[in-house]
Amino acid sequence: MKQIFLSLIIILAYNGTTFAATGCDLNDPDRDVRRLFPGSTGYKTDYVSIDKKGGEKLLSVVEQKLGDRFSGLYETIDVPYTIYTIFRGKQKVGYIHGVNQKGKYGGIQVFLVLNMKGTIMNFYYQKLTGRSASRLRTAAFGKQFVGLSLADFMQYDPVSGKAKGRVAVIRNHAPDAENDFKATLRGVKKNLILMNVFVYGNN
Amino acid sequence: MKIYQIAYKNLFGKKVRSTLTIIGIALSAWVLASLIGFNRGYESSLSRDIDNMGFQIILTAKGCPYEAATLMLKGGTGLKYLPEKVASDIASDKEVKRLSTMLMQAVFDPNKGESGGIMAYQGVDPANYPQMKTYLKFKQGKWFKNQTAYEAVLGYEAAELEQREVGDKILIPGKNIELTVVGILQRSGTQDDGTIFIPVKTVQKIFGMEGKITGVGIQVNQGVDMAKFEEKLYKLPDVQVVSMAQVKQTILNLVSTARVMVLSIAVIAIIISMVGVINTILMSVYERFREIGILKSMGAMPRDIFFMIWIETVILCSIGGLIGNTIAYVLSKITGIIVRSILPYAPTGDLVSIDPGLIITTSLTIIVIGFLSGIYPAFKAARIRPIESIRKED
Repeated sequence: MKQIFLSLIIILAYNGTTFAATGCDLNDPDRDVRRLFPGSTGYKTDYVSIDKKGGEKLLSVVEQKLGDRFSGLYETIDVPYTIYTIFRGKQKVGYIHGVNQKGKYGGIQVFLVLNMKGTIMNFYYQKLTGRSASRLRTAAFGKQFVGLSLADFMQYDPVSGKAKGRVAVIRNHAPDAENDFKATLRGVKKNLILMNVFVYGNN
Repeated sequence: MKIYQIAYKNLFGKKVRSTLTIIGIALSAWVLASLIGFNRGYESSLSRDIDNMGFQIILTAKGCPYEAATLMLKGGTGLKYLPEKVASDIASDKEVKRLSTMLMQAVFDPNKGESGGIMAYQGVDPANYPQMKTYLKFKQGKWFKNQTAYEAVLGYEAAELEQREVGDKILIPGKNIELTVVGILQRSGTQDDGTIFIPVKTVQKIFGMEGKITGVGIQVNQGVDMAKFEEKLYKLPDVQVVSMAQVKQTILNLVSTARVMVLSIAVIAIIISMVGVINTILMSVYERFREIGILKSMGAMPRDIFFMIWIETVILCSIGGLIGNTIAYVLSKITGIIVRSILPYAPTGDLVSIDPGLIITTSLTIIVIGFLSGIYPAFKAARIRPIESIRKED
C-alpha cells in the first residue's frame, strides 16, 4: 500500500507544468523520412536529452569531443533531441537526426541521415536563413557530406574553423556566408557526436 | 469477522470478475474526468488568450468579425487593410485609454522546410503596445528605441527557433533587410511566444504599406459604457468592430452547447458502468445464495447482509474511480495534445485542466454511483430467506 501511494505521488509530481527547451523535429516526418531515406518502410521516434542521458558529466564529454562549449540561451543540457530510427520491413537500417545551430540570421536546422555504422548517407538543411541560403541548400553542397563520419569530423575544430582530412575538402558554395558555412560544420559535428553518445556508443 | 472483511474476501475471491468491473468503472471515471477537464481547460485557456490580448476592442477592415478575431488569435494576417487615419481619429476619444495600430505581414521564405514556408511579422506601436501588454516580461533586452527603428522583439519560441539573442540580426526573406534583435520575451503561454514584433512604421516602410494597417487594438478607460462606445465605433465607415467580450461570449456559448453533448457522453458512459456494476454484484448475490442464507441462519440480520453487499459495490467503485481519475490526471497533457491535433482552433495553454478538486469531485460522483448501484443487489440479498436458500441449493 505504501508503495502504491509513493508511486502515485511521484506520478503526480512529474505531471506538473514545465517549460523545457525545444528540440529539432522534422516538419513532416512521414513525408520527410520517405524522401530522405528512400526504400524505408517505417520509423520510430525517440526523444533523448543530455540531461536525462548522463547529465553534466555527459555534457562535458560532448563538449570535449566537440572542441567547443555549449553556449547561448538555447544550446543547453535539457534540449530534447529527436532521433528517428528507420526501418525497412522489420530491419533497422539507419537513423535521421537533426540539431539546431545558431546561424548569422537565424537558426540553422541540420539533419543527417546515418547508416547503422554512423556514416552520413544524406544531408538536409531543414531551415537556413541568409542571402546565400539557396546556394548552400543545393544537392551538390549536401553531397559533400555523404560518406563522412564522426572520425572525419573529429579533425574539425569549430573554434578556429580549421579542418584536416576529408572535412578540409568540403567546399563552401557561398563564400559570402562563411559564418553559416562554419556553423553548418559545427552543427554536423555536434550532430554526429550526439548520435555517437546517444546511439552508437551504446551499441 | 467484520462485514467489510467478508465483502473484501468475496471480491478478492472473484478476481477476474472484480478486475473487469473495476476496469469498466475506471474507464468511465477516466472519460468523465477528461471530458470535464477538457471543458474547463478549454474555457479558461480561451478566456486567458482573449484577456491577454491586452485590449477590449479590435478594429479591422470590414469582414467577418469572428474570422478576423480568429486570425488575430492565431497570429495570421488580417483580411483587408485599414487606413491609419482611423486610429488617429479615435485616439483622442475620451473612452480610449490607449490604442495600438497593428500591421501583420507575411513573406514566403523559400529556405524553410523542403519547399519553403511563411514567416510572419507583427508591426506594433512602440509607444502603446508594451503598456497594453504588461504581462509580457523580457528574458533579455527591452522594447524598441523608437517608432522607426529597424529592430525586432521576439517571443520566446520564435527566438528559440531562430536561435536569436539580443544583438543578433534577423533577415526578412525576399526583402534583403536586416533587423537587430533588441529583446527576447519570456514565455507567456500565449500566441505572443511565436511572434516577431517590429515597430509598425518600420513594417509599413519595409513592405511598402505606408498609411495602412491591419488592425487597431483599443484599451478603454474604466467605467466606459462598452455598448455605447461600440455603437459609436460602428458608425466609422468600412470598419469592423470586434469586441473581445462578444467574441469570448460567442465562443463560450458554442463551448456550452458542446458541453451538453460532452456531458451526455459522460452520462452514457456512467450508466453503462452502473449497469455493469449492478450486473456483477447481482450475479455475485445469486451465486452466493446459499452462503447468504447460512450467514442469516447464523444470526446475520438483513441489515448486515445489505451492508455487506453495499460495501462490495462501494469498494469496486472506489477503486475503479481512483484508478480512472489517476489515469485521467496523469494522461491529461497527452489527452490535451491529441485533442489539440483534432480541433480546428484551440487556444494556447493546457486544453485539459484536471486539478485535485476535479479529481475529488469525480471520485465522489463515482462513489455515489456505487452507492446507488449497490442498493438493488443489496436489497435482493437482504431479502433472502435462509430456509429457501438451503432448499434451493439442495
